[in-house]
Amino acid sequence: MTQPQNFRDGLLAAVPTLRAFAVSLSKNADRADDLVQETLVKAWDKQASFQPGTNLKAWLFTILRNEFYSQMRKRRREVEDSDGAITARLSVHPAQDGSSDLNDFRKALELLPEDQREAIILIGASGFSYEEAAEICGCAVGTIKSRVSRARTRLQEILGISGEGDFGPDPVTAQITSTIVA
Amino acid sequence: MNYKKPGKNRGEGRDVTNDPLGNNSEIGRKLKQYYDELLTPEIPDRFSKLLQELEKHELPQSATEE
Repeated sequence: MTQPQNFRDGLLAAVPTLRAFAVSLSKNADRADDLVQETLVKAWDKQASFQPGTNLKAWLFTILRNEFYSQMRKRRREVEDSDGAITARLSVHPAQDGSSDLNDFRKALELLPEDQREAIILIGASGFSYEEAAEICGCAVGTIKSRVSRARTRLQEILGISGEGDFGPDPVTAQITSTIVA
Repeated sequence: MNYKKPGKNRGEGRDVTNDPLGNNSEIGRKLKQYYDELLTPEIPDRFSKLLQELEKHELPQSATEE
């Protein structure tokens, strides 16, 4: 990764996974590609700060994530200035084929708060370790673990999946317990 | 399923057998299915062209767009 040629090839090879992460974050395919473009430009400018031999993918995910949140803050300000018309457009889903099962899952995922959604994607889909995900998100490993756990529980609730309640009582038990206590 | 609580297997990365998002988990499987569908191997021309441009110019125009 010391020669520019290799750095460029590394960036190019990372494009598919960056796009997938960008779509999961932004929920919008066009915005996702703009995010990836901005990420590549920023990565190129910061090339000198990348330490060869370290995880290029994690480094790029960090840049993309920062870019996403800074764009989102900007958009929020814009939305506050408008009459709410933009808000309605922001939540438009990209047209996607696929099974209705998968569509249900995608919708459930989109209901999660951003911090939980990104945590469960990084760990469960992008293949990062908890340590790497913590570094990408700039938080503690324990924070990532609790976000993943909450995301998973919430997805199970939304999708009506039971029998995986390994992080504590499942929703039914929890309800019974709370009823007894009350 | 008798999973370990998170936090017990520190330092060693992911505990594969007790991975709460592993293949034994329905959420884990769906998550991978969802992500795999997003992972298209083709790289749109705009990105390869962008990188070619970046290589040609030290400071690309698009970097100063904002």
